[in-house]
Amino acid sequence: MDETLRFGHFEIRPSSRDLRVHGHEVTLGSRAFDLLVALVERRERLVTKDELLDLVWPGLVVEENNLQVQVSALRKLLGARVITTVPGRGYRFTANEEHARAAGAARPTGPVGAEALRGLGHRVLVADDNKVNRLLLARSLELMGHRVASVDNGRRALDLLRSEPFDLLLLDLEMPELDGLGLLEAMSGDPALVEVPVIVTSSVEGVGPVARCIELGADDFLHKPVDATLLKARVAASLEKRRLREQQRELIGRLTALLAAPAESGAGVPQAPRRCSAALLAARLVGLGAMPEADDAAAAIELAEACRTLLADAAAERGGVRVADAGDELVTAFGLGAAMDDDAGAAAAAMQTALEMAALIEGLNAERTAAGRPPVGLAIGIALGEVVAGRGGRPGEPRAVCLGAALGEARALSQRAEHHGRAIVVDPELASAVQDMVRTEVLEPDRVHGVFFG
Amino acid sequence: MNEPFIDPAVFAELQAQAGADFVEDLAATFADEGAELLAALRAAAASGQAAPFRRAAHSIKSNANTFGARALAEQARSLELGGLPGDSAAIDSLAALFDATIAELRRHAAG
Repeated sequence: MDETLRFGHFEIRPSSRDLRVHGHEVTLGSRAFDLLVALVERRERLVTKDELLDLVWPGLVVEENNLQVQVSALRKLLGARVITTVPGRGYRFTANEEHARAAGAARPTGPVGAEALRGLGHRVLVADDNKVNRLLLARSLELMGHRVASVDNGRRALDLLRSEPFDLLLLDLEMPELDGLGLLEAMSGDPALVEVPVIVTSSVEGVGPVARCIELGADDFLHKPVDATLLKARVAASLEKRRLREQQRELIGRLTALLAAPAESGAGVPQAPRRCSAALLAARLVGLGAMPEADDAAAAIELAEACRTLLADAAAERGGVRVADAGDELVTAFGLGAAMDDDAGAAAAAMQTALEMAALIEGLNAERTAAGRPPVGLAIGIALGEVVAGRGGRPGEPRAVCLGAALGEARALSQRAEHHGRAIVVDPELASAVQDMVRTEVLEPDRVHGVFFG
Repeated sequence: MNEPFIDPAVFAELQAQAGADFVEDLAATFADEGAELLAALRAAAASGQAAPFRRAAHSIKSNANTFGARALAEQARSLELGGLPGDSAAIDSLAALFDATIAELRRHAAG
């Protein structure tokens, strides 16, 4: 990958390790740059944390925390939405690449490698041994804005599908070496290809071949000569079905991760109920109801979820246990388990999380401001105190339970944070515990200390 | 009056869909490919190979339909479905029709 890849306000040239943001050259640490390249190169999919650790720190045993730090640095620099966290699974690069047609990339004139066509619309593969048909299909698809690679037999199609990602296959049936039915059979037995949508285009007669194609997993069948309007509609429908399938899979993944979250964070939750000292962090998103997105229910939910994911991820990375979770508020506890069995450790983890949350929301706001949208407010309160903690929930749906005045105090502090126009406020006990980490000032004697951030 | 070799409505639709310049190139491709397919058709018939014969006839039919060359498509279809012919008369007839069709296609494409 030696071309310059453009993603709106920034562009990256991996071969020369150049990164430009708003046209200005930016110097990134080598790990952060490697991480960015690793995510960009795999932007078609989610990348697990283990995979990223192997890619960015090859041969080294590195704590996951290092990865989170580099991700946060990239988010601060490029915008929070550039890298999406899929809780419990990994990260995904989600910036949109600019769709600029490369000079000279005119009509297809034969088999074309998809790698050369990166960066343009959906990737569609045309497999047809008939040159006239192949050229015309490729032309029609290009006029729809798609990127097209074409091959003249089923074997080449299979090889290309296995080496490069495609969003759609337009498949002829009568082909040498491996015909359309053979290719469909091979795809149906390959987990990596089974979900690539296929539209069969053929002039074979009778319903038998059509039925066989559908049995083998083809999404649709178009008789040749292919009507351009019908082709456009069927291609759009197939791509939409694929998008919905991917969305469904991602939602299931997120739901699975959410359901598994209490078990995953088991180290932070005592097996048996116990009384312990903990730092409670209440993070509240302020003013979501007044955002431009508020008029659009789906956009409002999307914004709230994007923010909440950032907050939850930051807390989970520091061992925080989620004890309350609403649409615009997240309360996490630090110090419930044995791993953080002292006030200082819990307080430090909570404070680091709060700083991380503020940085992430700041990054998101930088992106919103650039898009002419108002920033999202964040008000965090942290309280140190004794709580009763344990496991609750039904079998198969475990959850952490945390009771104590500190919970309410953290929430009350987050209200005071909003009142004082501060991102983070803490109680005096916590301020004392983190005095070596951050600078604070007294906002309300004996009750509220503001944390200097940024 | 004889039927035209090319359906003007189909051809106009193709030009509107893909662009006149592109269709002119595509017609030239059809002329080249079609000649090769006719040669393949003759070779398959001479060697008694039914599958390649059917495939070549099928391709000519498919391309002819693309340009609205209905008569050519229908004759190619007859060969595709009829299988190996007893002599070369049917192929000769198809070749003559192909040449006439290509000539008319070039005139249409040149505007």
